[in-house]
Amino acid sequence: MNAPLAPNALVAEMSPVSTSDQIATMKTALLKNIQRSAYVYRVDCGGCNGCEIEIFSSITPVFDAERFGIKVVASPRHADILLFTGAVTRSMRMPALRAYEAAPDPKIVVSYGACGCTGGIFHDLYCVWGGTDNIVPVDVYIPGCPPTPAATIHGFAVALGLLEQKLKAETHVEAAGEAAALPHPDIPYALRVRLEREARRMAGYRQGRTIVEEFMALLEGHARAPGALTLPDRMTAAVGAERDPRRAEIIGRLAEVVQRTIRGEAP
Amino acid sequence: MLKLLKEILRTGEATVKYPFAPMEVCKDFRGKPEHRAEDCIACAACTVACPANAIQMETDTAAGSRTWSINYGRCVFCGRCEESCPTGAIRLSADFELAVGSKADLTRKAVFTLAGCACCGKPFAPAKEVDYVARLLGQSARSAEEAERLRLTAATCPACKRAQDVQQIAGMGIARQMDAGHSESEHAVKERETTP
Ligand code: SF4
Ligand code: SF4
Ligand code: SF4
Repeated sequence: MNAPLAPNALVAEMSPVSTSDQIATMKTALLKNIQRSAYVYRVDCGGCNGCEIEIFSSITPVFDAERFGIKVVASPRHADILLFTGAVTRSMRMPALRAYEAAPDPKIVVSYGACGCTGGIFHDLYCVWGGTDNIVPVDVYIPGCPPTPAATIHGFAVALGLLEQKLKAETHVEAAGEAAALPHPDIPYALRVRLEREARRMAGYRQGRTIVEEFMALLEGHARAPGALTLPDRMTAAVGAERDPRRAEIIGRLAEVVQRTIRGEAP
Repeated sequence: MLKLLKEILRTGEATVKYPFAPMEVCKDFRGKPEHRAEDCIACAACTVACPANAIQMETDTAAGSRTWSINYGRCVFCGRCEESCPTGAIRLSADFELAVGSKADLTRKAVFTLAGCACCGKPFAPAKEVDYVARLLGQSARSAEEAERLRLTAATCPACKRAQDVQQIAGMGIARQMDAGHSESEHAVKERETTP
């Protein structure tokens, strides 16, 4: 018989790496007086490689991070900036820590991608630590899945103290009497549901919503200022004016839905 | 050599001006999900849809509040929240400059109040959601009484609704026994009229 296990024995307590005040001062001095290129070492801690591809596309001629002296190097011993990507899988914890220890102080740690920031889409997997800051202290977080090359350059600029961060923590508190506006109050609810359903069926949720919003704006415009055209004519004109045949077909179907509703037929 | 120079001149400069000039993004670019809390009814559709659990909801019945929160550090920019939002309160914007120095700056919160059930008074749903649904149902109501009845239905919590249903069904059973001679279809009509 096995003796019952204390649950605590199963949990590994690993103390996070901490940095001293001295290193913090050195880091500020580095950021203020850096007169040379900043060398970046990339530590892949078990992401999907999307982030790696975007890092390499940000050093291509189109985005050219090297014009700011940001260079990717092959060894952590040369690095000023450590770029951690991936959700930190269990097996990558030690190699990541070794890379961190190998880099000379002062070093700037950047957590790259949704995986690096919080674990991203993998945050609740059994085999991940869920984010760089669970193993090493992080200076800058660059969210994105993956961050675009432009977002990468912005992140480096924030890390090197060249640009200010834009995002701020905010809390909205519901004001008294705050109410969400009803969309399209002039269009009968049943018709609106039918139109939205048809548009989504044809074009998906996102594009369908865009198309149906335009179409309902047309209906409302007609109700407000009828003009010379009748509603069916106006809808036919809208179909005719559409250059994209796919959109024309969808708008045609929406017009049909309106016609059927006017005739009182079941949708 | 001359040929090469010509080629270089013809190609021009490929490098983008960013960060010294704003970066143009394409039309359907999926950037930071922008939440307009004024239009949000705290319905939690986005919370359920979000594959990365970047959007979360916490209900505090003691304080009578529900807190919506998004963690931009966890978002994978898939756009499911935008697709599922009934009021269009959350939209993916063209903003990609999200890098921050402290993790706390990656979250955004919105606090909503809970409404009490019209029947038992216990908080059960966000006040804005109840109000929105009542107005939406009222739009297709044929009379003011019907709109009021629909509003009451929307403002009643599921437990009370169930209790009311049981009472109604029990009452119907007795009524049916009492006028067994009458036609059943009369009841069916009545039922359809009273069921929202
Ligand atoms: S953040 Fe997204 S793209 Fe980057 S490694 Fe994780 S899953 Fe892949
Ligand atoms: S874009 Fe996707 S991951 Fe991001 S908050 Fe919306 S649903 Fe969640
Ligand atoms: S789906 Fe829209 S309305 Fe509902 S909680 Fe999310 S943002 Fe708010």
